[in-house]
This record gives sequence, C-alpha cells and structure tokens, in this order.
Amino acid sequence: MKKIDKTLLLTIIALSIFGIIMIYSASNIWANYKFNDSFHYFKYQLVFFLIGIVILQIVSRIDYKVYYKYANVILLSCFLLLILVLIPGVGSIRNGSRSWFGIGSLGIQPSEAAKIGLIIFSSKYLANNNDYLNNNFKGIIPLLIIVLSIFGLIMLQPDLGTGLILLMSIISILFISGVNIKFFIGGGILGILGIIFLIIIAPYRMNRITSFINPWNDELGTGFQIIQSLYAIGPHGLLGTGYLNSIQKHFYLPEPQTDFIFSIIAEEFGILGAIIVVGLFSILLYRTVRIALNCTDLFAKYLVFGISFQLIFQAIMNLMVVVGLIPVTGVTLPFLSYGGSSLLISMFSIGIILNISKNI
Amino acid sequence: MFIRNIDKRIKILFLLMIILLILVIIKICYIELFEYSKLNNLAQDLWSRNLELKADRGKILDRNGKVLADNLTTTSLILVPNQIKNKKQVTTDLSKILNVSYSNMKKHVYKKTSIERVHPEGRRLSYETAKRINKLKHSGVYLIKESKRNYPYDNLLAHTIGYVGIDNQGLSGIELQYDKYLTGEDGAIKYYSDAHGNKLTINDTYVSPISGMNITLTIDINIQKSLEREMNNIRDMFNPDMALAIVVNPKNGEILGMSSLPSYNPNNYQKYDSRILSRNLPIWASYEPGSTFKIVTMSSAIEENVVDIFKDHFYDSGKVKVDGSTLKCWKAGGHGDQTYLQVIENSCNPGFVKLGQLLGKERLFSYINKFGFGTKTGIDLNGEGEGIIFPLNRVGNVELATSAFGQGISVTPIQQVMAVSAVVNGGYLYKPYIVKNISDNTNTIIYENNKVLKRRVISSKTSSTMRYALESVVAKGGGKSAYIEGYRIGGKTGTAQKVENGKYLSNNYIMSFMSIVPANDPDAVFYLAIDNPKHTAMLSSYTTTPIARRILLDIIKVLNIPEQSKEITKDLEWNDKVTYEVPNVIEKNYEEAKKLLINFEIIKNGTGNIVSYQSPKAGTKVEDRSRIRLFMK
Repeated sequence: MKKIDKTLLLTIIALSIFGIIMIYSASNIWANYKFNDSFHYFKYQLVFFLIGIVILQIVSRIDYKVYYKYANVILLSCFLLLILVLIPGVGSIRNGSRSWFGIGSLGIQPSEAAKIGLIIFSSKYLANNNDYLNNNFKGIIPLLIIVLSIFGLIMLQPDLGTGLILLMSIISILFISGVNIKFFIGGGILGILGIIFLIIIAPYRMNRITSFINPWNDELGTGFQIIQSLYAIGPHGLLGTGYLNSIQKHFYLPEPQTDFIFSIIAEEFGILGAIIVVGLFSILLYRTVRIALNCTDLFAKYLVFGISFQLIFQAIMNLMVVVGLIPVTGVTLPFLSYGGSSLLISMFSIGIILNISKNI
Repeated sequence: MFIRNIDKRIKILFLLMIILLILVIIKICYIELFEYSKLNNLAQDLWSRNLELKADRGKILDRNGKVLADNLTTTSLILVPNQIKNKKQVTTDLSKILNVSYSNMKKHVYKKTSIERVHPEGRRLSYETAKRINKLKHSGVYLIKESKRNYPYDNLLAHTIGYVGIDNQGLSGIELQYDKYLTGEDGAIKYYSDAHGNKLTINDTYVSPISGMNITLTIDINIQKSLEREMNNIRDMFNPDMALAIVVNPKNGEILGMSSLPSYNPNNYQKYDSRILSRNLPIWASYEPGSTFKIVTMSSAIEENVVDIFKDHFYDSGKVKVDGSTLKCWKAGGHGDQTYLQVIENSCNPGFVKLGQLLGKERLFSYINKFGFGTKTGIDLNGEGEGIIFPLNRVGNVELATSAFGQGISVTPIQQVMAVSAVVNGGYLYKPYIVKNISDNTNTIIYENNKVLKRRVISSKTSSTMRYALESVVAKGGGKSAYIEGYRIGGKTGTAQKVENGKYLSNNYIMSFMSIVPANDPDAVFYLAIDNPKHTAMLSSYTTTPIARRILLDIIKVLNIPEQSKEITKDLEWNDKVTYEVPNVIEKNYEEAKKLLINFEIIKNGTGNIVSYQSPKAGTKVEDRSRIRLFMK
C-alpha cells in the first residue's frame, strides 16, 4: 500500500458528518434555551470538524517514526499536563471533574492527549523489550508503574471513564504483544479488587452499579440518566420518530448532544440509526485491524492496534451505557458526541493510522 | 512465528469487540420490541400533561324515572404556570375578575407545579365570570367543565340518597354505597410538554369523560312526597324527638318510601349535626316496639294452632300476675270477656301474655327469630341496626310475657315492616331492597335487584286470618281513625314507653302505627313512628293514626288501589260520620225518590216529576245528610 486507506478516511468523515447532523437535532432545543441560538453546538462542532480534517491531513503526512523518536518527550509532557490540570486556577472543573484547560466554551482535556501519548510510549516500550516480555521486573512492571501513575492522575480529576479506556488500551497492547495469559488473570483479580477499592472510597460509584441493574430504584437520582435514555430508545419502536422529532431532547435527557447522543439517534431513526452507527464503527474497526495485521514494523503494529482498540473500546463503552448494558461511566461517543477536544484528538489518532497505512 | 502470534491475538480482540457491538444492536432490538409498550406507557406519563375533564356523576332516580339527584355543570379555572408568559398581567387580571387579592392569586400563578387548580376561588364559576376569563385569551389559563351534584327535591329522601363532598365523592347513603357505579370515568385533554412544562407542538388528544351509571330506586316519589309532607306536619304539630316512616311492597320487599325526622338538605349538608346526617331512622333506630309487635305473637299463635281467634275466649280482669310481677292492661279494669280477635282489636296485654304462655318461650322465640328480629334484614343501605332479642336461656316467664306484647325487646322499623309483610303476604319473609336497577349511560341495565326470599314463616291460611284480624283492628279496634271508607285497611297501633339506662321514662313514648292496604291482598305495608310527641294524648290511636290515614290515602292513589266494598264495616263512634250508599232513583217519580233518599238532602233541578239524572251516581258512599242533586224531566 502506497496510498492511505480511503475507506477508513471516508468512514471517519461519514461518522463525523452524521455526528454533526445529529448534534444539531439533539442540541437545538437546549442550545436555543441556553444560548438563544439553535445552531450553537452545530456551528462549533462543524468548525472543529473542519479543523480536525486539516489536522488529520497534516498528521497523515507526518512520518509515524517521529512518535517513536519523541515518545518519551510526549509521555513526559502528558505527565506534566495531567499534574497541572489538577491545580485549582489552572485546570477548570466541568461536569464535576477538574480535567480541563480552557477559556469559555473552548477547552482541551489533557487526559485525551494522555491516552494517545501513553499508547505511543507503550508501543515503543514493548517493541523494544520484546525479549523481556515475560520477565516481570525487566518487562512489564516498569511499564505498568508508568501506566498506573497516569491512571492515578486521571482518577484524581476524577474521570473513571477516561481512566478505564486508557488502562484497557494499554492492557490490549500487552495482550497482543504476547504477555502470558496468567498475567491477565492476575491483573483481572487485581482489577476487581481495584474496583472494590474505588467503590469504597467513593460510594456514589456503587449507586451507579445498582442503578444500572434497576434504574427505577432511584428514578430521580442515579437511575435518572439511564431511564431518560431508555425513554428515548424504547417508546417509538423500531422506526423512530424521524429526524428532529425527538421528545427526550426537550430537557428530559440532560445535554443530549454529548454522552447520550446515541439515545437521540435511536429515538429519531430507531434500529436503522443504531445499525448505521454500529456499522460505521465496525468498518472503522475492521479497516484499522487490517492495517495492524499488515504492519511488519512492531511499533507501528502496536500503535495502530492501540489507537484502534482505544477508539472502539470507548465507543463500545458509550453504546453499552446508553442501552443499559453497563453502569453509567461518563464517556463520549468518538466522532459523534459533541466535543472539540475529543474530536481533534480522534482525528489526530486516525491521522497517525492513515500515515502508517501509507507505509506498509 | 512471533508476529503470527501477535496477529492471532489481534484477531481474538477484534472478534471480541465485534461481539460486543452486536450485543448493543441486540439490546436495542430487545428494548424497541419487548420493552416498547412498558417504556411507551411510562414515557407517555412523563411527556403528557392531562387537563382533567370531570365526568358527570350518575343520576339517582325514583321508580318512575323522576330525578332525585343530578348534576349542575359548572366551569373551573385551571392554570399551567409554565405556559403563562406574562405572569404579572395574568395575576392582575385574574385577581380582578375573581375578586381575590393580588398576593393570593400570585401564589397560584407562580406555583411550581405542572397544573394548578385555583381552589376554591376558581371553582364553580358563573357563566359571566368564565366568559370574562375566556376573553383574556392568556396562554396557560384554561377553563374546564366541572359538574356539581344537585338534589332538586332538597330534603326529600335525604338520608337514603346521602350526599357528596366537594370532589363529588359519595360520603353517605346510596351516594356512598354505590359510589363506584355513580362515579364516571374522568376524561382529559392530553398534551405533550417538555421537561419544563411548555407545550410541544405534537397534537393534543381529547379523551371524553364517561358519565357514571344511573341508579333507579324502588322509591315512588309520590309516596315519598306524602311521607315528607306528613313528617313536616308531625314536626309542626308534635315537635317530637324523632319520627320515621317507611312503606314497603310486601310482595317483593321493595322500599316504596322512607323518611326520617329530623332531616337535612343534602345540597348543604355541612350545616347539620353529624348525628342528624348519619341516622337513617327506619333502618337505624332500635327500640321497644310496643303493641305493633303483637302481630308477630298472634301470627305465631295461629300458625301453631294454640288458639282459634274467632272461637276461643279470654277474660281480661285488667291485670295478670306472672312470677309475682303484676302486668297491667292499658285499660283500667280490663276488657272483660273477649274472643282473641277482640283481644287484638282491643290490644289487650293480658290476652297476649296468655298467648305467649300458650306458645311457650321456645316456640315464640323461634318465630321471633324466623320473622327476622335480632338480625339485620340485609337491606342495601349502610347503617342498619339489628335490635336486641333476649337469648333463649335468659327468657324467664316475665320476659316471655312482656315479649309477647312487645316490651323488653328492641327491634328496628325495617325488621318490623318486613315481618309484617311476611305475616300478610302469605308467609314469605323477603329481604328488603331499595335499588331497583343500575343502568349505564346507554340506558342498558347492567344490574337489577330482584326479590330475595329468605324463608317461609307462616302458612297462607294463617296469613289470611291475620289480614282479617288487622282489618278488624282498624274497623273496630285501636286503628279506627285510619279507617278509609271504600278501602280495606288493616293495621295495629303501638305505644311504647322509652327506656333509658334500664328505666322506663315517664311521659316519654314512641307512638307507632303499622298498617296494610288493601287488607285482603296488601300492596303496601306502611309503618309510622313518632318518638316523644308533645301536646298530644299518650295514645297512639289519637296521634299517629290520623296522620297515617292521610298517607294511606296517598298510597291508595299512587298505587291505584281500586275501591272495594267487602270491607269489614266500622263500628260507629259518636263523632264518626255515618255514610250511606246512594240508591238509584233515575226514572223514579219525585215521591218515590224522596223516600229512597231519606238519609240525604235533595236539591231539585228543572221541572217535571221524573228523575232523569242524579249526582252523585248510584252506589257512591256519601256521608249522612249529604246533598243529592236530581235533574227532573
């Protein structure tokens, strides 16, 4: 392949444009109420999309080996940013987490950058330390210390969703790199203990778990979001209400253009909307995995798969929350949810994959 | 080799993620196919706001279809605060129109609620007020129809019909007992709103209210009117503590009329004492019946063949000794030698003591039970009493003796009329009822009450003898002032001393009269009781019977009871008018006519010697010295 993967590019563009269209429908009522401008979110997302395409174009032209070279610097910057963002006055609080740098409605989340930064670093680390993979002290442990300290910094914000995605994408790279299955079993047990620990220090997380099993137990509290989401998906059957006709966007589902945009898609387009979204993500997954499989460069292989896994895993987590399969974690749907910083980082990530696709 | 291993693991994760994505689609299908209706219902509740449209309450009708309880349509004000744009203006306008202070109205207009009822100022608005509010055309201000219960005849049948509260919920009587039938299904105007309460542009739906079911009573309004009229007379004449009247059809147990004094107006029941409201005396009151109970004793005695009332004699010395207690007859010196028919005509207490003794306590009390005393009759009304009858093991000779003439036991009026109905209808004890049927708003009868036979108590022969005896009481005995010329009336008076704390009160009586019409085949059993009448002789025959007679006349008219001639002729008293049947004098000459018309005054019209026409006609009964008009040719 000497050319970039056009199917992948088109899929990304389709997802983003569908996202912009749905952001308009989901947010017009709220935007009109809050900003007196139904197109407020639509316009911002459109601008971010255009910037994102430019970034994607530029990144896809940068040789991916640059990241190999600067992996340590990138990781160090991420560390610093994650520490900085925790300082009151520097980082600002949004939706309960101190995870933003920004002025006004524009903002970037260093944790988004950290996700990609850590994948770059881990890919390099694992590509270089192939021989020590199953030697705990020389192989995995140092990497894990780095990963867990970044995870810890993100949890201080706190942002469980992003933290989990970050952790899982590194674990996925460890998994494919050939680390012994025993490690994952041990890790799994540690993970469960970790989750129990996290619940003990912040009991609201327990409520999220119980409310996911029966949201009506706490209808106005922890179960509220999932109930509102089900009220969007369910009542109109397989066909949906049609574009712009969502009822739940009328202040029932809070800020429907972000985490719960998929609810509005399912409300307006029914099962068809769901199939379009899941289908596009499946194509995205398939194309990126194909690139990963075709890579001969180990660093590139890990990098492509890490990015791919991270995007798809985030999408799956979001979709499963929205349809009530797992507790609410507060992650957005890549490319579709409203959010500039997230979209730009996703475009940046895809740009890297596209560049790699050219080099195999 | 190493790379292949990596690729294998990539494929594993790829498959895992594809499975998870498929799982999401499956879950969506599950939600949209299987949880669809549940979620739809819940979500509709969330999205839609209902402006309730009150259903009309079912009507209550008499047996002829006359409306005893209906509804007045009124308008009420409803606010949807979130839809009101100019709250200040709306508050000002509404406070002006409704004559409410600005601050008071502000509470309603600014209230954080989806739908606010302006209560009570905004309820039951006049047409003019409603029109003025409507003219303002403010958004979020709604006028909805409400209906208010109305009792067009005020006090008539108040205790039985009952009354409703402000929200049209039945609180008493039929209104309470049959609330679930009378209450309709409220309708609504349903509109979609956002979470802030603003109306969405999705179409409104209108669900029309369904009126409640109509209840037709067995009551005949004309008999009821007669009872109410005489209750008012009783109140004016005697100022009694209480009074009650009840009319039943002995052939099936239908209540034709029932009335209580003191009464109330259900249109504004709040003004009355709760004791007045709750006591439907004909079914609630429980007291010593007195002589009317002798009907039961005598029926039992005849049925058991212990006496032949026409042939057997009893000598009344004026008193009788039972176990050392002396029981006196009401007539000092006694009635002397009498047949048992005369014993009941004279209401002679010692005679009934004798009947009680002849029967013995087992038999007498088994009849008392069989006639339904001591247990509720099961009438379809709330608040029925059951009376008190001695348990058999506590009946001594004195208790047997007094029970036989109606003392020492406690019964309800409804028990008495049902027992007497059984006495006169051939022996059948029926369950009384007041609801004839229930019909829905398409006039389809969905429920109908029919006569319920509880048991046969006496034979038709005994019943027939008793009818004769009761007719004889009115013609010759204590019921004389109820006698109606041309009609066969049976009856029995009663005067019972009231008991308080185990002692008889002096000069405090319940006077009663039990009657049947026509006596040969009764269509009505009527019972009247007056508790502690003032300014009257302490004998029921002077107090109750003249009033009962007026009601009986009305009953005869309402039930279309034909005139009959074979009645027992009344014994004359000094103040009784003598009546004669007018003979036929047409085609007779004047001299002949004069002889035939010896008891009458003749008025001659026209010239000639032959009578061409007479008025009244031959066969009519008129009083002594009445005028007979003759037309001569």
